[in-house]
Amino acid sequence: MKASVFGVLLLIVPLATSVQAQTIDDGLLLPRRALGVGVLYGHDSWSQYWEGDLKRANGNIGTVTTQSVTWVAGYGVTDRLSVIALLPYVWTHASQGPLHGMDGLQDITLAAKYQLFTTPFTDRGTLRAMVVGAAGIPASNYTPDFQPLSIGLASRQFSGRFTLNFQAHRGWFLNGSAAYTWRAKVTLDRPAYYTDGQLFLSNEVAMPNVFDYTVTAGYQSGRLCIPISLSQQRTLGGGDIRRQDMPFVSNRMDWVKLGGLVMYSLPAPRELGIRLGTSWTASGRNVGQATTLTGGLFYLFHL
Amino acid sequence: MRPALLPLVLVLVSAACDNTITSTEALLPLEAASLDSTAGSWRMIVLSGPAQFTVAAPAAETSAAYAAELAAIKSAQSKLTTAQRSSIAYWAGGGVLRWNQLVRDLVARFNLPPAPRADGTYPVPDPENPFADPQFPFANPPYSARAYSYVAVAQYEALKTAWYWKYQYNRRSPARIDSGIRALMPVGDLPAYPSEDAVISGVTVEMLKVLFPAAVEEITERAAEQRNAALWSGKAAASDVAAGLALGKAVAATLIARAGADGMKNAVGNAAQWQALADSAVARGEIPWISQESPPRPPMLPNFGQLQAWLMTPADVVTERPPAPPSTSSDQMKQEVAEVRRTVEQLTREQLAVAYKWNDGGGTYTPPGHWNDIAAEYIRDARMSEVRAARAFALLNMAMHDAAVGCWGVKYLYFNPRPIQLDPSIKTVIGLPNFPSYPSGHSTFSAAAATVLSYLFPQAAADFDVMKEEASISRLYGGIHYRSDIERGKEHGGRVGGYAVRFAQQDGAN
Repeated sequence: MKASVFGVLLLIVPLATSVQAQTIDDGLLLPRRALGVGVLYGHDSWSQYWEGDLKRANGNIGTVTTQSVTWVAGYGVTDRLSVIALLPYVWTHASQGPLHGMDGLQDITLAAKYQLFTTPFTDRGTLRAMVVGAAGIPASNYTPDFQPLSIGLASRQFSGRFTLNFQAHRGWFLNGSAAYTWRAKVTLDRPAYYTDGQLFLSNEVAMPNVFDYTVTAGYQSGRLCIPISLSQQRTLGGGDIRRQDMPFVSNRMDWVKLGGLVMYSLPAPRELGIRLGTSWTASGRNVGQATTLTGGLFYLFHL
Repeated sequence: MRPALLPLVLVLVSAACDNTITSTEALLPLEAASLDSTAGSWRMIVLSGPAQFTVAAPAAETSAAYAAELAAIKSAQSKLTTAQRSSIAYWAGGGVLRWNQLVRDLVARFNLPPAPRADGTYPVPDPENPFADPQFPFANPPYSARAYSYVAVAQYEALKTAWYWKYQYNRRSPARIDSGIRALMPVGDLPAYPSEDAVISGVTVEMLKVLFPAAVEEITERAAEQRNAALWSGKAAASDVAAGLALGKAVAATLIARAGADGMKNAVGNAAQWQALADSAVARGEIPWISQESPPRPPMLPNFGQLQAWLMTPADVVTERPPAPPSTSSDQMKQEVAEVRRTVEQLTREQLAVAYKWNDGGGTYTPPGHWNDIAAEYIRDARMSEVRAARAFALLNMAMHDAAVGCWGVKYLYFNPRPIQLDPSIKTVIGLPNFPSYPSGHSTFSAAAATVLSYLFPQAAADFDVMKEEASISRLYGGIHYRSDIERGKEHGGRVGGYAVRFAQQDGAN
């Protein structure tokens, strides 16, 4: 059952709330009729950000901190199909300047993960391939028009993800995952806005789609699993933050992040798992150079 | 997932992820409700009269030169490209309305404050070096109120002059003269010489080159496209266009001369003046305004209140000012600060939406732009002729410019602190403007605009009143203004708007 607990632990990579990315990209599944439930705390903060390509600080916001508590649940429908749900509550805060932080329920994500095949690969391990379909919708009527202090982008979205996982018999594993996310237009409370070089006389904002990938390598032994990851998001369109302007919901938000996790399943009760993670933004565009810390507790029920 | 399900899922995804944007200001080809054939006698604002600029008589419709112009149009129409057709369709929406949209675009593009230098000081945008960082201009609310008004007044003066000469010469449009020329945009009975499209093109391009010099290339291209559209569409011949262009440029020169001497050059002020404003407030026993930005930024255009108004004399500007705000040490002020704090902390989602709807802060077309946005749909729906549309925008934007002059004069007379300066525990849900609090610029602009629009479109007066109230109270919801800023601002703006209404009541256009 160790792998199964990890399956829940790995359900999400550290919530990059500065860009509200939520991915479900590991190579693991829950066994049939197993229910995993957990709570994840995330702390994301940055004091420098990229205004387009220009890295800068801003005394009118100081350090922007985004905290989140995410409820996570996963269920093994069959041994090849798991369904997963996520719902974060998010708080934002700026350490300097006049701007008010925001808080509220962000987006609910529902995902289905399906194992296409699993096969012995050479004599050293097992190769598995998965597809994941995930849909996200805002869970409250929050505004996306107060970046960087909005709690999210308020866009309905659907992502299709493909994951290839190699699990060596000796405990090493390698995971590659890539996704394309379609994003629906968002509606603002104002009748016009300027972005990407022109004025739009509309309260609707077209949202560019997003491509992301994550490569994870790690080692699993006994009750411990330690993956490290490199992930990159590319937004396929959108304008840059202009000089001395505020960020905007449809900006081209790109980043490269490095992350590490420690996951541990307790000797007793064996169904309880702990997860601690961190990530660091190596480069970006129209996002903050965020450092994130996450901690979570998960419990596995066999129904 | 079974393969058979895949197409269904893709359909659902594309439906759920709809990304089509609906514009609220689509313009259909303009078929004016009236020719406004008497517009040549409507009252001028800056010019002495319609004959201040003479437009020479055109060649006869039967002349060889004109026949060659008609042949050129036929030739052009026989090989129109898709791009040419789409520029005809674009400009068919009406030149005054299109340029109003384009000026709003320019304001939003240039409405960004300079970024601070590493040493904590701020550079000043330089009209002699507009392409640098910071770009010129910083099209903040006063600057943009002035810019909208100069474009609108210049267009209005030029079009009244054009109308005067049109009815002196009564030359028809090419599509009316020659059945071999198609009318690819509405071509009515309005005389074609000089071309109103070319007049608008010429006057607007010259004004915008001065107001937004860093956008010169794009402005020039757009203006040329407008003239070509008039030509290709069969609406105007080359000589109609040439005469219109020359007239438009000549009228612009008069307005540009006025703009050079209206006081804008001195509006930024200097460090000694900024300090004197604070010292004056202290001498009166009041807490002076302090910039809440980091690093502290000099106040926005402290001398804008000394600018020349359009419809008010300097004495009128002073007479119409609101009374002094409550003292910063008064009980009333304490109660008003407490109201701001309470309002922001208990804000509903609906109130937040109002704050965002009317925010019109940095990077937007500003509050005067928002009222142009509102007016444009009424002007479009009324199918106003070009000259009547120009009148509506001129009245609206003169009132808002005069409101900016009046409001900024009062702001720097009292130099009153913002709520978060008196109670740093207050946080705002919109950006905090970097100038004194009293009175509210939004309220002044909105009351002036609503007063003018209610005169022009009396059937919608109740709607404009609701918008004015919403725009004004949005500043309390945002956490950036006290209630008395808003109330006195509305009253002040209403009085300023009254000057434009009284002008309009006797300008000969009714």
